[in-house]
Amino acid sequence: MAYRDFRDFLKTLENEGQLLNINEEVMPEPDLGSAARAISNLGDKTPALLFNRINGYHNARIAMNVIGSWPNHALMMGLPKNTPLKEQFFEFAKRYGQFPVPVQREETAPFQEVEITDDINLFDILPLFRLNQSDGGFYIDKAVVVSCDVEDPDHFGKQNVGIYRLQVKGKDRLGIQPVPQHDIAIHLRQAEERGENLKVAIALGNEPVITTVAATPLLYDQSEYEMAGAIQGEPYKIVKAKDTDLDLPWGAEVVLEGEIIAGEREFEGPFGEFTGHYSGGRSMPIIKINRVCHRKNPIFEYLYLGMPWTEIDYMMGLNTCVPLYQQLKEAFPNEIVAVNAMYTHGLLAIISTKSRYGGFAKAVGMRALTTPHGLGYCKMVIVVDEDVDPFNLPQVMWALSTKMHAKHDAVIIPDLSVLPLDPGSEPAGITHKMILDATTPTAPETRGHYSQPLDSPLETEKWEKILKVMLNK
Amino acid sequence: MKTCPRCESKKTETVSQSPVKGAWEVYLCPVCMFTWRSSEPESITNPEKYNKAFKVDPQDIPHAAKVPPVPEKRA
Repeated sequence: MAYRDFRDFLKTLENEGQLLNINEEVMPEPDLGSAARAISNLGDKTPALLFNRINGYHNARIAMNVIGSWPNHALMMGLPKNTPLKEQFFEFAKRYGQFPVPVQREETAPFQEVEITDDINLFDILPLFRLNQSDGGFYIDKAVVVSCDVEDPDHFGKQNVGIYRLQVKGKDRLGIQPVPQHDIAIHLRQAEERGENLKVAIALGNEPVITTVAATPLLYDQSEYEMAGAIQGEPYKIVKAKDTDLDLPWGAEVVLEGEIIAGEREFEGPFGEFTGHYSGGRSMPIIKINRVCHRKNPIFEYLYLGMPWTEIDYMMGLNTCVPLYQQLKEAFPNEIVAVNAMYTHGLLAIISTKSRYGGFAKAVGMRALTTPHGLGYCKMVIVVDEDVDPFNLPQVMWALSTKMHAKHDAVIIPDLSVLPLDPGSEPAGITHKMILDATTPTAPETRGHYSQPLDSPLETEKWEKILKVMLNK
Repeated sequence: MKTCPRCESKKTETVSQSPVKGAWEVYLCPVCMFTWRSSEPESITNPEKYNKAFKVDPQDIPHAAKVPPVPEKRA
């Protein structure tokens, strides 16, 4: 089943008790950022927030925390809201395997209702606000940015749909952060080498599947729209932008069309990031906006990010695990069991695997570092045995505390690439990386005393069932 | 004319006024690109109370690292 658009998903959240309407008037600052931070502090089953009255605006509505909990993530996939996390992982992985699902093209879209090309003022059109106290300005932080491969513009899969932080820096100007490891940086480089501007189209207020897929580290030539079709189980609806051949999500609330100006860089940030630190004070590209389209009375969407966990950690949790899992399985199809790369977008990853022989787990760790996502993340990779659930952190801690010998099992590889936002990288973008092998030594490695693992008493499973029934009465 | 709370430039401009008249205005500094709303707390709007760790010296701006670097144009 697919959600028609952003509003359709909000309606589902409301029906499921996963949306909280806030009808009291709030101040743009500090209320919006504070409330969105606060809701993440209240656990992992929290609702989305819909602010219906914002000081200074006649009828602006802002939704936040839309995918900010495991129930909301389950509903994004059309699953019951109480679906356990590990089940959501395997269901996501199953659907990911259905890629590609061809798209459904439409001629018109609801966002074409209102169009602005003269005297564009983004500060008037969008209800913008400061999210964290030391942000250098007002950001659009949950929009999908579409661009295409300049040298192969007709290749549908090389068209990129990604989420990048966008600082509103003028009435018709945005700053954009294209991290070198992300696909839009490839397009920008191609355009700038030709001395050409890079055309972009930006969609705000989307149903949650394209948002999730846009935040998923797909391979360069994999289409986000064809993956969104796989995740939602039916063709994804797209429509052409007006000024370019770029494809946009049909259900978007607001669309901005423009171009990244070749060769220009301008002071940007700082912006509080998913690493729990501010990043900025660098010069980054700018986008000139030429056209704005939106629905009448659009609903705007922003996401809070900061010290984990916040909405962004739910939004790029399982969708970071699954590509790593699939790519590791391509190399080791019979061994890889599961991957948990939910920590800081996979800066830390935990892999559960069978070990064929001594040294195998370290090879699995090395392979994780060389996956496309690993090139910018996977600063620490923990490898555990097949019977350790990587989503169960007490089990992972048990493996680390009992299976690891620092002399043999801690491998440090110097000066590898990482995304420059990693506050520990020095220079920004370079770091040592570490593999911690917390698997049981396998022959010909015979060290340690692991021949007598403790097994559960004989009738444990039976008793688990009996006790579960009694507790549920 | 407002002073930029972050870099203390005097060149700031008003970029927006609240749709409901009189609630607030939004200002932009064209030097350090800082943006703020008149209704924000003093720790944001007052140059003297702005968090020192996040102040910007306009002289540092031209030296900021370019991310990503601008590539050479191909012949």
